[in-house]
This record gives sequence, structure tokens and C-alpha cells, in this order.
Amino acid sequence: MITDFGRVLIFLIVGVVFVAGGLIVAWLLRPNRPYPSKLATYECGEVPVGDTRVRFNVRFYVVALIFLIFDVEVVFLFPWAVVYKNLGWFAFIEMLVFLGMLAVGYAYVWRKGDLDWDKPAPKVPRYEKGIGVQETRMTEEEIAV
Amino acid sequence: MEIAGIGILSWITFLPVVGMVVVLMLPKEKKDWLRWTALVVAALQVVLGAFLFMRFDRSLAGINTESGMQFLEKFSWIDVRSVSWFGRLHIEYFLGIDGISVVMVLLTALISFIAVISSWNIEKSLKGYFALFLLLDTGMMGVFVSLDFFLFYVFWEVMLLPMYFLIGVWGGPRREYAAIKFFLYTLLGSVLMLLAMIALYFSVNVYIDPAGGLHSLAEAARGMGQGWEKIYTFNMLAMMDPGNFVPGSLLAGVDTSMRYLAYGALFIAFAIKVPIFPFHTWLPDAHVEAPTPISVILAGVLLKMGTYGLLRISFPIFPDAMRHFAWELALLGVISMVYGALVAMAQTDFKKLIAYSSVSHMGIVVLGMSSMNTQGLTGAVFQMFNHGTITAMLFLIVGVIYDRAHTRGLNEFGGLMNQMPRYAGAMTVAFFAALGLPGLSGFISEMFSLLGAFQTFQTLTIIGAVTIVLTAGYMLWVLQRVFLGPLPEKWKDLTDMNGRETFMLATLGIIVIFFGIYPAPILNLMNSSLNTLAALLQHGAPAAMTSGM
Amino acid sequence: MSDHLLNDLSLFAPETAITLTLVAAILADLIFRRTPLVVAALVLAGFVVTGLLLLGQTGVNASIFTGMIAVDSFAVFFKTIVVLAGILVVVFSMESGELNSPGRKLGEYYALLCAAALGMMLMAGASNLLMMYIAIELSSLSSYLLSGYTREAPDSSEASLKYLIYGAVSSGLMLYGISLMYGLSGSLDLRAINRALPQVLSGGGAASFTLLIAGVLALAGFGYKISAVPFHFWTPDVYEGAPITITAFLSVASKAGGFAMMIRFFKVTFIDAGAVALPAGTWATLQGFHWVDLVAILAVLSMTIGNLVAVWQNNLKRLLAYSSIAHAGYMLTGVVVLSNQGLAAIMVYFGVYLFMNLGAFYCVMLIADKTGSEDIDEYKGIGGRSPFLAVALAVFLVSLTGLPPTAGFIGKLYLFAALINSGWTWLAIVAALNSVIALYYYVRVFRNMFLRTEEPSSPGITLSWLQNAALVVLLVPTLLLGLYFTPLVQLAQASVRLFGTP
Repeated sequence: MITDFGRVLIFLIVGVVFVAGGLIVAWLLRPNRPYPSKLATYECGEVPVGDTRVRFNVRFYVVALIFLIFDVEVVFLFPWAVVYKNLGWFAFIEMLVFLGMLAVGYAYVWRKGDLDWDKPAPKVPRYEKGIGVQETRMTEEEIAV
Repeated sequence: MEIAGIGILSWITFLPVVGMVVVLMLPKEKKDWLRWTALVVAALQVVLGAFLFMRFDRSLAGINTESGMQFLEKFSWIDVRSVSWFGRLHIEYFLGIDGISVVMVLLTALISFIAVISSWNIEKSLKGYFALFLLLDTGMMGVFVSLDFFLFYVFWEVMLLPMYFLIGVWGGPRREYAAIKFFLYTLLGSVLMLLAMIALYFSVNVYIDPAGGLHSLAEAARGMGQGWEKIYTFNMLAMMDPGNFVPGSLLAGVDTSMRYLAYGALFIAFAIKVPIFPFHTWLPDAHVEAPTPISVILAGVLLKMGTYGLLRISFPIFPDAMRHFAWELALLGVISMVYGALVAMAQTDFKKLIAYSSVSHMGIVVLGMSSMNTQGLTGAVFQMFNHGTITAMLFLIVGVIYDRAHTRGLNEFGGLMNQMPRYAGAMTVAFFAALGLPGLSGFISEMFSLLGAFQTFQTLTIIGAVTIVLTAGYMLWVLQRVFLGPLPEKWKDLTDMNGRETFMLATLGIIVIFFGIYPAPILNLMNSSLNTLAALLQHGAPAAMTSGM
Repeated sequence: MSDHLLNDLSLFAPETAITLTLVAAILADLIFRRTPLVVAALVLAGFVVTGLLLLGQTGVNASIFTGMIAVDSFAVFFKTIVVLAGILVVVFSMESGELNSPGRKLGEYYALLCAAALGMMLMAGASNLLMMYIAIELSSLSSYLLSGYTREAPDSSEASLKYLIYGAVSSGLMLYGISLMYGLSGSLDLRAINRALPQVLSGGGAASFTLLIAGVLALAGFGYKISAVPFHFWTPDVYEGAPITITAFLSVASKAGGFAMMIRFFKVTFIDAGAVALPAGTWATLQGFHWVDLVAILAVLSMTIGNLVAVWQNNLKRLLAYSSIAHAGYMLTGVVVLSNQGLAAIMVYFGVYLFMNLGAFYCVMLIADKTGSEDIDEYKGIGGRSPFLAVALAVFLVSLTGLPPTAGFIGKLYLFAALINSGWTWLAIVAALNSVIALYYYVRVFRNMFLRTEEPSSPGITLSWLQNAALVVLLVPTLLLGLYFTPLVQLAQASVRLFGTP
């Protein structure tokens, strides 16, 4: 007698064996002839450029968050759609409330300007007078003296 | 006994609050209006006190019976209906006086009146001063008239904060230290009292009838009325009846360790106030830093609250523990007497000397109380009254000289006898009264205390009696240092007392002399109460006495 | 199905109202961008409506959303505390000079205040471990943001970050406790756990040890919310760095939510529901789990450390932070008793703590707005310059000390009474002595206000009529409840009913 979790365990074991088995068999069969471009990181066939730790613009982060929220929304919408016929008006209103709240969030993001993708004006380094020179302005007391 | 539908004890207690409201509404520039308001309130209190004195029935005992209490006022104050898991909470606004309290009420009215007059030359934020002073007055009066423990506690604490500010704002150079020390000491005592009070509350059951009257368990056993409900109570008189203690509750029984503990907690609370020997260190600081009127109040009334608490609460509620620790109590009294006197002798600061003499004199009260007989108790209560008047005089005397010379160093004075003859006269009366010269009131009370104590604790009393010699020693030494010898050059232009000062000292002086020659008016007031208390302490509460509750 | 749900929703009306307020606040902020007063008024109205809806829930005793949330008089009481605190804090915020500096957008502030209040209200009612966790997180996340709201003040950001890190750790610990609990009993519902416990405990030493660990871990979560020692380290920094209005809100509302949740957790989960109430009103705990001693130790530590450290503080916000730790300790002694009497005592205490603590913070805010600092030296001579404000602060502090005739005394009286009546005399003595220590540092404020005068006397603080009115609104209950406390006690005694306990 296998319990529910027992089946999950079997599933896990099979999964691990399948993946590990493939790798092990490949490792046993393949010839081992390394050269630099073969050892390089795989970037969809492109020649890898630079470090992996590049700095992303923080806007991507905002976009990712917004995407996540509206993506997850669908996860809730799908099961709702499946049983919609049985639930009727109640479910309709309920989903309206849910979507309404998301809409408020959307409106908020929009109004606050987080969806605007205006390019920031490049900051030209400016040299101001006096930088590097000792501050020589006197205080009022010193002037008085 | 009602005026305008409000009982006379409520009037005497809350009149100062009315005065406080008036003071707060007056503009602060009108200094004389503020002073006169306070004076009128204090004078009315004296009038009410005189009225109480005349109407007081000398034959009624009081102590642990409601029927023996006079000028009763009893209303339901807090009444929370019971729920299934918690009984009904019923707290009464319960005022009444017997032979012990009436003396204290008179003393409070008198001393407050004198203190207001003595405050006449205070200039710094007068409005706040009198507002706090009057609030303090209410607290003191309330302590002496309340018969409900909860109410007693509230009044006891109400007086703390005004006292802190009165010392802290209007005091001398080290006033901050003295004020906080006083506050912390007293609060330490109060929280212990609070715990003892709660423990007592959960140990005492009475029945309440629908009209709000309380009935002891014994009474209920004889026949229950319609709709009687069993409740816990804060009623002090109910706590004094051993029959009301719930069997198995925290403080039930006789001579249990829990009872000793509760007695000890109450004792510390009151001993700090008296102050009895190891708890006395706040007193010299507070006295030295307090302005003269507040010293007068502090010595004249506040210290009495400690001994009054012992007599009103500790002794009748825990007679067993009192008997058990009577010797220790007497010992502490004797230590306070001797120690106070010895330390006073070493002082060169006039005010500090008087402060320590207070410790010594309150020791006599404690010794007298611990004797458990009528003489001792009479001596103790009378000594409380006399110490109130005499020490008030002493502090006023210090105030007079400090106002003029701006120093209290005893060794700096000399030869003032001719310079200030009226002052010398007043001071001589006060000092001789304090050292117990026959013919002045101090003598009678000390005599009674020692006489009573001698019957119970011979050796201790003999040791304690040495104090009389010590007191005479330092008191006479002060007189000598201030009045005799050559007059230092710098005091050549000291003026004698003005009319206001003379009036205060003369009033108190006449009282001291009068009760020294003819103490009967005061002794008659308390005689029957103290007989009852002595009987209760010696034999426990007889069942017949408690039925009237 | 939907009828059932609709019924549940009707019992969820107060929370719904506050949620709608939250949404409306966000929208209003988008429309009236330059007048934060509109949002404030809207939120104020929302809180008031929520309070009115709560009034309508008197005497309800139900469990809604399949056991997720209990709506009982106990929860309603604590929700009322949260809502009252919310109303007062919104009024404070409208007056606060710190918040209303030019250029600051306050829309989100008010919206987040609603969110925090919603979380705290859910905490009061949560009767499922998962719901508890979500409620804690909702209130915490909003609080993190709020405590860092004055970004330009360096300690504000520090406060926010510290709060976040401590919060993350303790909620992590709590989550671990919850998972252990679930592993043992197979349920997240408090009553189901309670029913499963005898069987769990029969599993022997390992099971009861795990249960102990789970309880202790859960306690870490609650301890963090109510800022009890040793989970209190965030409190002083956050209270000092956050805007005063938020400090005030956290010190009352967040504590109320935390206490409500803690009491419900322990009482529903670990008390033998089948046992008959013992004579003194105490309850039989399920065998093998003596967490009572643990809570007693926490209480003693919180009181003593809170008070002793407060003595050394010179910043009033920090001083009040430590004092609030000490007050959490006092209230924990009520949890130690856990009988109905203990619970009633805690509620009475909260009823007065609401007014006196908010009052104290309000006075500190008014003074700080004028002097620009909360340092105790700034209080020198305030008694002479602005007597009403100084006297008001003095009354609140006296009440916090617990002296009659102020309301604080009643709170202490009920706690001590509950302790003594159930035989915890030593704890009562410790608590009583602690209030003496507390007096010392409160008196330092009096001393500076009244006993000392500043040399160059600066002009007095003039208050607007609204500020005066707010002070009076806080002062009246603080004084009146000290002299006539029947209504509060009756309310507390009527509110001890927890859903799912006999």
C-alpha cells in the first residue's frame, strides 16, 4: 500500500534517476577533448562578452515586479474560469473586486510615473571652480577681527 | 450632619480642592488674592474642625464598629456587577471618624492653617504653590477620614505628587535630591501597601444587601436577608473582624506566615512615613530642603500618617501579628528615640537637628503604641498631636531665623536673647515643650507613653527613657548656642519677629501650654476609642463588638 | 456556499471597511496629489466608520472563513483599541510638524497606516496559524515602511532597516515553530491543534519536546510584536528613529494586536478545553507543557530590563520605548495568570494604556515640533513656559507610573489583583517594585519641566485649538477612568470570551 506521499517519493526518485542517469551515461561515453571556446559559458551561441555581474537599470526591476503581479493574476483567473458556471454572480463580483484592486495598483503605478520609460539625461561631469582648492572663505567673526 | 446636602467630613476634605480650583482660575499676578483664598479655605477647615470637636460624641468607641464611628458618610463609589468568574467589585466612598482620627483631623486643620500663614512671604510661582498646597491638604485630610482601604490608598497617594513638587520647586539648594528621595521612599512603601491591600481584599468576604449595606458573615449566619450577595470588600471595618476572613484564603487564620508577611509589608509602608529607624534617611534631607511651611506640614501632619496607619489599619486588622512583633516594634521605637537624639546632638545645622529630633520623638510614639495598653496608646496618640504642634513651632522658629540670617549654622549665632526677645520667648517655650518639661504638653504625652510601655517592656523603656536626658541635653545646648554668649557683629541688625510670625507661634504656644496644664479636652476625645483598641490588641476582637458592622 | 460566505463577509465588515479606506486613500492620493489633508480626512472617516461597525459586533461569537478568523468579544475589544489608536494617530499626523514638512507626500503614509491597522485587526482575530502569520506580515511590512517614512532623517532609515531585519528573523523563527506545530498535529487551526494535542503528547518525550520548541519559537514571534525582552532589541532604535506618530501607533496598536494573538494562541491551543474552570478562575493547561513559567520569566525580564535601561535614557522617545518594553512586561504578567481575570486585567490595562501612552507621545511630539529635539534637556522650564502642555505630560507620566488617581493605577491594580488572587505573589512583588524604578525616570522629566529653569528663557509653545482639544480628549479618560472605572472594567469583563474556549 503506497500512500500519497509515497507516490510523490517514487516520482522524485524516478526524476532524479532519469536526469542523473543521462548525465552519467554521457560522461561515460563522450570523449574528453577540452579547448577554450568549449569551456566558455554558453550564451545561446554568441561569443560571451564581459562579466556576468553587470548592473541593470533599476527600471527593469520595477517592470519585473509589475509583470509578476499581473502574471500571477492569471493563475487566479484560470481556476475561477473553470468553475465559473457553478458559482454564478457571487464569483463574478468576487473576481471584480480582485481585479479592481489590481486596477487600483495599476493606476497607482501609472500615476506615480513608474511606467514612463523616459531616458535619463546623461550627466556630463562638470568641473566647478574651487574644487581641489583649500576652502578659504572666512567666517564672520574672523572678518570682524 | 450635613451642610448643603454634603456631609461635614466631605466638606473638610474637599474644601481645599474647591480652593484649588479657585486658585487655578485666579490670574497669577493677583498674589494677595491667591494667599487669601488659601487662608480662607484653611480657616474654614479650622471652623469645621472646631464644629467636629464640639459635636463629637466622647462616649463612642469606633475602631472596629461602624456604629461607633461618627459623622459617617457612605455611598457606593465603584460597583461592577459580578460575572460568573469574578465577584462583584464594590468600593465605597466611606468616611467616618473615631477618637483617633478626630485628633488627627483637628491637628491637620490647625497645622494647615498655620502653614498657609507661614507661606505668606513665598513669592515664586505662587499660583502653583497654593494649588499644590491645597491638593496636599485634601490628601492629608482624606487619609484621616477614610474608612475604606481603597479610598485611604488613593488619598495616601494623592498627597505624594504635590509634596514632591513643593519640596522640589520651592525648596533649598539640594531640593531635587531631597524631593526624589522622598518620592521614591514613599512610593516603595505604598506599593507594598497596595499588595497587602489586594491580599486583604481577596481574603475578606462580607454580604451586601440590595440597598448597598454590608453585613458580616456572622450576621449573615444569623439570618440572611433577601437578595444578599457575597462579595470581597475593601471596607476596613470588615477586615478587622476575624470572622469575615474566608477560610483557606491568603490571610485567613491567626499567626500564619502570610499574615506576618502582609503585616510586614504594611509596616514598611507606614514605617517609612513615620519614619522608624532604618527607614528614616529621607527625612533629614526632605526637611532641610523643604521651605518652612512645607517642613511644618511634613513634620506636623505627614509623619503622623505613618503612625495613624499603624493604629488604624495594621493593629486592628492584624492584632495577632502585632502581638507577635510587639517587642520588635518597641525595640525599633527605642532605637529611633536614642539614635535620633544622639544624631541630633551632633548636628550644627539647626533644621537638621530639628529633623532628627522628630525621629526621636516619633520613636516615643512607636514605643507607646507597642505597649498595647490604654496608657501607652493614649500617650502615643497624644504625642502625635503634641509632636505636630511642637515640631511645627520648632520649624517655624528655624524659618524665622533663616529668613533673617540666611544661615542655619548653629555655631554662627550667639547672644540673640536681647536682640530678639519675643523670638527667644517663643523658642524657649517650644524647646522646653520638646524636651518634656512638666507643665507643657510634651511632658504629658511622653509620660503616658513611657508609663504604658514600662508595663509591657521594662528594660526597653528604661533604655528609652535615657532619651529624655539626651533631648534635654541637645535642646538646652541649642538654646545656649543661639541666645547666650556674645552677639556676633554681623547679627547686630537682626529684627525681632513680626506680627505674622508672632501670631503663628503664639497660637501654637498657647495650645502647647494649655494642653500641658489641662489635657483633658483632647484625652476625653480619644479615651473610649483607645480603651477599645487596647482591649482588641490584648484579647483579639470580641465577637459581640463586631456585630454592629 | 455563497450564503455562508456572505454571512462571513458581514462579520468581516470592519476589516472590509478599513480595506476600502485603504484603497480609497490610494485613489484619493492619486487625484488630490497636493492636498494630503483630503487623504487624512478620508482615512479618519474610514477609521471612524470601522469603529462604528465594530460597535455593532458586540456580543458576537463566531468563526468565519472556515476557521481562519474568530469574531468574538475578545477580538472586538482589541480591534477597538487598534481603531481608536488609529483615529488618534491620524489626528496627531495631521498636526505633526515633522511629517508635514514641505515637499513630503503623505498619501502613502495614510494608506500604509490603514494597512498596518488592518494587519493588527486581523492579528486580533486570527485563529489559524497561517492567518496569524499573514496578519503579522501585513502589519510588519507596513510598519517597516512607515518607520522609515522620514527618509531625510538618518536614524529613520536605520530604524526601518533594523526593524525589517529583526522582523524577518523573528517571523522566520515563528514560521519554523508553526511548521513544527503542523507536523505534530497535522493542522493549522488552533482548535484542531488543541484537539490533537493529547494524542501528540501521548507520543512520548520527543513529541512533547518538539512541542515545547514549537511553542518557544512561536513565542519569539509574539515577543517580537509586543517587544518583550529578549526580543526587544529593535524597539529603542525603531521608536527613536520612526516619526513620533508611528512610534505612538506601534507602541499601542501593534502591542494590542500582538497580545491578542499571543493570548489566543496559548489559550486556545494549550488549555484543556474539556476541563472545568478551577475555583480561582485559572485554567488547567494540558499536561506536559509548562510554558507559564517561561512567560513569567519573560515578564520579569521585560519589566526589569525595560525599567532599568530607561533610567539612563536622555532621549524622550527612547525613554518611552524602554518604558513600553516595561509595560509589555506588566501586561505579560496577566498572560501568566491567563484566567479570565488575568485577561480582563490585560484589557483594562490596554484600555488605559491607549490614552496615557498616546498622550505621552503626543506631548513629546508637540514639544519636539517646536524645539526640534526630543532630548530631555529641551524640557527644562517647559512647566513655566507652557503650563498646560507640561501638566498634561505630567499627568500621562504619572498615569504610566501607576499612581492614583490616574487611570494607570487601575490598570496596575487589576493586574496585581489577578496575580495575587491566583497565587503569583512573588511576581506581584516584582512588578510592584518595578513601578518604583519606573517612577525614577518619569520623575526626571518632571524635574526638568518644573524644577529647572532654562537660563535664556525661550518663548512658550502655543497650541492650536485642535491640539488643545486632542490633549483634552486624551486627558479626560486618563483622569476620569482613575476615579470612576466601572465602565472600563465592565467592558473588559464582558470581553474575555474567546471563540472555542468554554
